Amino acid sequence: MLSGLLKRFTGQKKKSKDDAKKRLQFSLIYDKLEVNDTTLIDLQNDIVDVISKYFEIDREALELKVKRDDNVSALVFNTPILHVRRKQA
Amino acid sequence: MEGKIIVVTSGKGGVGKTTATSSIGAALALEGNRVAIVDMDIGLRNLDVVMGLENRIVFNIVDVVLERCKIEQATIRDRRIDNLFLIPASQSDNKDVLTTAGVERVAKELRKQFDYVIMDSPAGIERGFENSIVSANEALVVCTPDVSAVRDADRVIGILYSRSLTPKLIVNRIEPARVRRGEMLSHEDVVEVLAIELAGLVPMDDKVLISSNTGTPLVLQNDSKAGQAFRRIARRLNGEENVPIEVPTDKTNMWSKISRSFGLK
Repeated sequence: MLSGLLKRFTGQKKKSKDDAKKRLQFSLIYDKLEVNDTTLIDLQNDIVDVISKYFEIDREALELKVKRDDNVSALVFNTPILHVRRKQA
Repeated sequence: MEGKIIVVTSGKGGVGKTTATSSIGAALALEGNRVAIVDMDIGLRNLDVVMGLENRIVFNIVDVVLERCKIEQATIRDRRIDNLFLIPASQSDNKDVLTTAGVERVAKELRKQFDYVIMDSPAGIERGFENSIVSANEALVVCTPDVSAVRDADRVIGILYSRSLTPKLIVNRIEPARVRRGEMLSHEDVVEVLAIELAGLVPMDDKVLISSNTGTPLVLQNDSKAGQAFRRIARRLNGEENVPIEVPTDKTNMWSKISRSFGLK
């Protein structure tokens, strides 16, 4: 009871609506990251085309995925680089 | 001049879509417009009972779209409000009996006859929803301040944007005391999460259930806070400026407190 009173006076009461808002913000982002496979493959091909202008990469070895942590979502793109392409003058 | 088609939608069911549709339609008619409310929830009609017109149904929107009757034959005149009409849904058919092309043809005709056509969309994002948004010029999304309604609203807003509609939001059933205690998302929270323009804010109001019990328009009750909020939303939709969005409050003024304590209210 005492701690309840204390919280009341100091205004530190945990508000459930703050949880609701935070959870909503994350879930809405996640919902939109639910991309289908064809989109991911298209994206992967486009990225490979761009990177290939500068580096020689192993098309087969690369992987692309959406990584979800508690706080952030990230597109993770992993590829071994074989050579740096010489810039043509 | 051609009328406007406004779709009222929500994604999640049970957030007050039917109340919003009937109230906004009634309020637009009270502003002097000729208004048709169309129940697009085929198979689960409700607007007729909410508006107190269930005894007068002969034909319905499915009959109109399938050309089994004329629009005039399916249009029911409201008992209390002039220039307010209902085209009910069918109760027996399946949602898939309507085609978007058929709905578009009827909507085009309705625009010629009415200043406003308000389409009450079914919950969900399936065929029935698609049929109700296909002809819309404007869209209103209704949600309550809870996680499931807001998330579903976000999904629906996304779909509306992809159809070149820019929806506006009605936050319904706001309970000011709970917002103040931090138990309920505030309208600012909801707007921030959904990044959408507000059409209006409607407080939780016991009068909503009572008016649907009797099938009488909420907007005709001057003591209904929700009814008055819907009237302001309608005035803004009708192009009236200087009708600010009022934030629901539970602070009552001194006189109403005193009169209540004397049992006068």
